[in-house]
Amino acid sequence: MRKSAFNYLYVIPALGMVLLFVYFPIVSNVYNSLFRMSSYSVTKTFIGFENYTRIFKDPLFYTSIKNNALYALFSVLCQVGFGTLLAIFLEGRYVGSRLRNFYRNVLFIPSVISISAVALLWYFVCNPTIGLINGLLDKAGLQHLITAWLANPKTAIFAVIAMSQWQYTGYIMVLMLVAVQKIPPELYEAAVIDGANGFRKTIHITLPSIKNMLIVSTIITIIGSFKLFAEIYVTTGGGPYNATQVLGTYMYRAAFLFDEMGFGSAIAVVIFVLTFTVSVLQMKYFSGED
Amino acid sequence: MKRKLTWVLLLSLLLCAVAFSASVELKFLHRWTQEPDSLFFDEVARDFEQLYPNIKVNVQSIANDPFKEKIKVLLGTSDAPDVFFTWPGEFTNRFIRADRVLDLTPYLLRDGSLWNYVGSQVEPFVYQGKIYGLPYRLDAKVFVYNKELFQKAGITKAPVTFAELIDACKKLKAAKINQIAFGNEGTWAVSHYIGAINQKSLPEDVWLKDLDPAQGVWTHPGYVESLKIYSQLVPYFNPFANGIKHDQARIEFMAGKFAIMYLEIVEIPEILREAPTGFGEKIGVFVFPDTKGPGDPDYLVGYPEGFVVSADTKYPEEAVAFLKYLTGREAGRKEIEQLGFFNGYRNVVGPDEVLPIIYETTSLILNSKRMVNWLDSDLHAKIWDVYSVQLQMLTDLVATPENVMKEIQNIATEVRKEF
Repeated sequence: MRKSAFNYLYVIPALGMVLLFVYFPIVSNVYNSLFRMSSYSVTKTFIGFENYTRIFKDPLFYTSIKNNALYALFSVLCQVGFGTLLAIFLEGRYVGSRLRNFYRNVLFIPSVISISAVALLWYFVCNPTIGLINGLLDKAGLQHLITAWLANPKTAIFAVIAMSQWQYTGYIMVLMLVAVQKIPPELYEAAVIDGANGFRKTIHITLPSIKNMLIVSTIITIIGSFKLFAEIYVTTGGGPYNATQVLGTYMYRAAFLFDEMGFGSAIAVVIFVLTFTVSVLQMKYFSGED
Repeated sequence: MKRKLTWVLLLSLLLCAVAFSASVELKFLHRWTQEPDSLFFDEVARDFEQLYPNIKVNVQSIANDPFKEKIKVLLGTSDAPDVFFTWPGEFTNRFIRADRVLDLTPYLLRDGSLWNYVGSQVEPFVYQGKIYGLPYRLDAKVFVYNKELFQKAGITKAPVTFAELIDACKKLKAAKINQIAFGNEGTWAVSHYIGAINQKSLPEDVWLKDLDPAQGVWTHPGYVESLKIYSQLVPYFNPFANGIKHDQARIEFMAGKFAIMYLEIVEIPEILREAPTGFGEKIGVFVFPDTKGPGDPDYLVGYPEGFVVSADTKYPEEAVAFLKYLTGREAGRKEIEQLGFFNGYRNVVGPDEVLPIIYETTSLILNSKRMVNWLDSDLHAKIWDVYSVQLQMLTDLVATPENVMKEIQNIATEVRKEF
C-alpha cells in the first residue's frame, strides 16, 4: 500500500501542469462565457447563456463554420489524399533514389517555414497589380481572369486554402512515407506472383496497411482546419466583406476588436465542443471497425 | 568598537545609495518598432533620465496593428504601462470610462503647463471636461499632388472645390495619366475620405451626435449624399483598390505613376526620405475640397496622436513629468530634426528651421478652425466594423449608398442598446 501511494507522488507534478495549463483554462473559459466583460474593465455582468444564443443567431457564425468546413474538405482531399498519393509514388520506386530524396525534401520544406512568412509570400503572389498569378495570366493572354485573389469575396477563401495546401501537403506526405516504408516487402512480392499490377497493389496492400496513419492524418487535418487563425489573419483579416471569416478570427474579432471577452469565450467553447466531437466521432468510427 | 561603528555606517550608506539609485522605474509603451522613430523615443527617455537621475524609463514598443489589441489586454492586468501611446476619441474614451486613464487636469493647471500647448491639439484629449492626454504628433489628411503631372494634363491650379477636383481627374484621365492612388486593403484609408465628406455634407450637431454610440441614429439624408460624393471619386481610383495596401499605393505615387494621393501629413517626411531625389520639389498639397454642403469648409480631417498616463500607475508625479517632457519643447525640437513631425507644444521652431512643405502642412493644422477625428477611431468598434465592410462594397460598386446607410442604421440601433 505504501509503495503504490508513494508512486502517485511522481505523477502529481505532471498532473498539476495538465490541470493548470489545460483543464483550468477550459473551465475558466466556460465560466467567463456566462458573463459580459472586457479585457480592461474590472466589472463583469452575469448574463447566463445570452452569449450562446447570440452566437447561434449571428449569420457570421455560419459563414465561419462554412469556411472552416470548406477548409477541412479541401485539406483532407489535398493534404491527406494527394499527400498519400505522393508518398506511394515516391516509395514506389518510379524515380531513382536521388530524385526521390530531392522531391521529398523540396515538398517538405514549405511546412517548416513560419505561417507569417508564407502568408506574406502568398500575399505578394496574389497581389492584383504586381503578383505572380496575375502576371502569368497577363502573359498568357488571359486578362479576363485577372482579379484581386485575396480581395475578391468569390476567390479569397480558396486562395487561402490553396496556400495551406501548398504548405502542408509535404508534411502529410512525409508522415505517409514513414507508414508506407513499414509495409513488409514480402506482401508486394506475393502480390506480384499473383499477377497484381501497381493499382491493385495500392488498393489491396498499401492503403489497408497505412490505414491507421491515414486516420491520424485525417484527424490532425480536420482539427487543424477548425483551429485556423494565422493564415486568415495575416492574408485577408477575415475580409473582404467578412467572406473569409473562420471561427478563430470570429473569436478574435469579438474578444479583441469589440472588447467582448465573454462573447469571445463563448465562441471558444463552441470551437472546443466542435473539435472534440469531431475527434471522438472519428476515433470511435475508425477504432470500431477494428 | 570604532571599527564596528564605521562598518555599520558604511553599510547603511551603501543600502541608502542602492535604495535611492533607481527608486522609480516607469514603463513607457509606444507603437513605433522601426527606426528612426524607435531611436527617437530611446533618446528622449535617456535625456529625461539625465534630468531625473532617480527615474528609470523602461521603453517598450509594439507595432501599430497588434498595439490596438494588446493595450486593451495590458490595461486589464497589473502590468499596465505607466505612460502609453493612444489615439484620442473613442479609442481612448472607452479606457477613460473604465477608469484606466489618469485625469491630467490638476497636473497641467497647477503649474500652468497646459498653456504651453496648442489648444486645438489638446482638445481631442478632453473627455467630459477633463484632460486625459497630451499631443505627441500633429496630423491631418491632405491631398498631395504631382505638379509635373498636373502641368502635363493642363491643370493650372490645385482644386479648391469638389467639382474642380473631379474636373482635374477628368483632365488627367484624358491625358492618360493615372489619377488617384488608393490602397484600401486595411479599410482605415476609406474612413479618412468618408470622415471628411461627412463633416462637409452634414450639419455639425448631427454628425457629432451620431458619433456618440449612445445616441447615434445615422438617419440624416446627408449621409447618403456623402456616399454619393465619395462614389464620384471611385472611377478615378486605381483598379483593385480594396486589394492593395496603402503603402503599395504610396510607393506607386512616389514613383510618379499617379497624380494625386490622399495622405497624412506625417507621411510627407517619409516620402521625402524614401522617394526618388527631387520628388519633394514636385509635390504640392491641397485640403479636401469644399463640397458646398452645410458643414464648415475650414475644418480639417486629422487628429493628433498622443500619450496618456495609466490611472493605476504607482508613480503619477513621475509619469506626468515624463509625459510633459516627451511632449515638451526639447523633445519637440528633436522630433522635428529627427522625424520631421511637429508636436503640440507652442513655438518649438520657426519657419526658417524646417522644410517649407513641412511648415506649410503643419500651419494648415495650427490655423484650421477645428480638427475632425479619423472616423475609424471615433466610431464604436461594431459600427466601424459594419461601416468598413459597406464602404469596401461601395468602392467595389457592389453596394448602393442607400443600402450602406441602412446597414449602419441597423447596427447603430443594436449598439445603442448597450448604453
